[in-house]
Amino acid sequence: MAITRLGPNQDITAAKIAGTINFKNLIINGDMSIAQRGTSVTGVTTTDGYYTCDRWRSQTDIGTWTISQSTDVPTGQGFANSFKMDCTSAGTSNADEVSIRQYIEGQFLQQLAYGTSSAKSITISFWIKSNKTGDYTFSIKNVNSSQERLLGFNYTIDSANTWEKKTFTFSGDTSTSIENTNSAEFELYWWFSAASALRTGTVSNTWQNYSAGNHAISTLAGLGGSTDDEVYLTGVQLEADTSASDFEFIPYDVNLQRCQRYYQIFGSTAPTSCNMTNGMAYSANSSEVFCPTILPVVMRTGPSVTQNGTIAYRTPGGTTNVTLNSTAVSEKEVFMNFSGSFTSGDPGYIRNPDGSSSNYLEVDAEL
Amino acid sequence: MINSVEKQYLEGEHTSYKVVLDDGKILLVPHNEENRHYQEILEWVENGGVIVDNGA
Repeated sequence: MAITRLGPNQDITAAKIAGTINFKNLIINGDMSIAQRGTSVTGVTTTDGYYTCDRWRSQTDIGTWTISQSTDVPTGQGFANSFKMDCTSAGTSNADEVSIRQYIEGQFLQQLAYGTSSAKSITISFWIKSNKTGDYTFSIKNVNSSQERLLGFNYTIDSANTWEKKTFTFSGDTSTSIENTNSAEFELYWWFSAASALRTGTVSNTWQNYSAGNHAISTLAGLGGSTDDEVYLTGVQLEADTSASDFEFIPYDVNLQRCQRYYQIFGSTAPTSCNMTNGMAYSANSSEVFCPTILPVVMRTGPSVTQNGTIAYRTPGGTTNVTLNSTAVSEKEVFMNFSGSFTSGDPGYIRNPDGSSSNYLEVDAEL
Repeated sequence: MINSVEKQYLEGEHTSYKVVLDDGKILLVPHNEENRHYQEILEWVENGGVIVDNGA
């Protein structure tokens, strides 16, 4: 990047700082480049949750789906990945919900000054592709505990199997604030199927008191009724502005760290003897090992921890397989207790015993 | 979907819940209302689920 030197009497202008990152995108992982959980999950049915791309939550109450981090992207836009939902076993479209969501913490949204006369406009932009043309809806719910609010916009996928960019600007909400919490205060929904109860009203482009029937357009195209059905999403940006600007790419490592506020994996396949956590462990008695670990990125809140596959405790005397038994956690630290059979007082560390990629610990503080 | 929940103790103090899901996956969930899995435990209890407590 060329460096522009400013003289003592020259102003800093937008043009002079073009290319700098200012984290204008309120969406995390909008380019779908981070997928700590893996790149593809098959057989997803009614269990809503987080699969593949970090921070992106899917709801699949119709049919069976494969959810993946795809390399199918709009040409020439700089994206390497998209979030893909592919129906592999059909149900009845619009009998229930099929959607993609992202939830945003309230403390990241205070800049919007909602609930004041200075409430800022926001603009959503994204790239989308589907086999099925027709009407679709994007909506945002402000889950304010005193008064929930909702707005959205309807869009049309005009051409089958073709990437299309959609944008819309919403005026700020001067009447209802966004609560300043680390909980989900904005819920963003991309609707692909919805039960009739979610489509009985009118999708409003301005903030209204919440009514479930106003979530999606009555003529929603409806995915999930055919194994041909699929949808791709990428380049998602939500910004405090009155028009859509170019997607703000941030470095991969920075994007990863932002995602690790919500989800982290402890585990490595190489070298096979490597330490799985960043702390040493010790056997407090013949049946328990304690392992305190400082989290490499401070998380949103105290996380849940899950053991996947085989995990071992390595000491000077040898290696013993262990089972995660209990935890004590904060947003900064995970203290794990493993059960097994040990020599009391042995120092050691927690490791992946055979280098298998199936062996790891998940640490989850998602919204 | 939650299949069972059991209180877990660490050095005599209740610090987490062992949650077994229908697919067999096991989560250690903190007693923390900001944690979405703890929120799911509360919902499961509201719908009739019973947390097992075998003590420390």
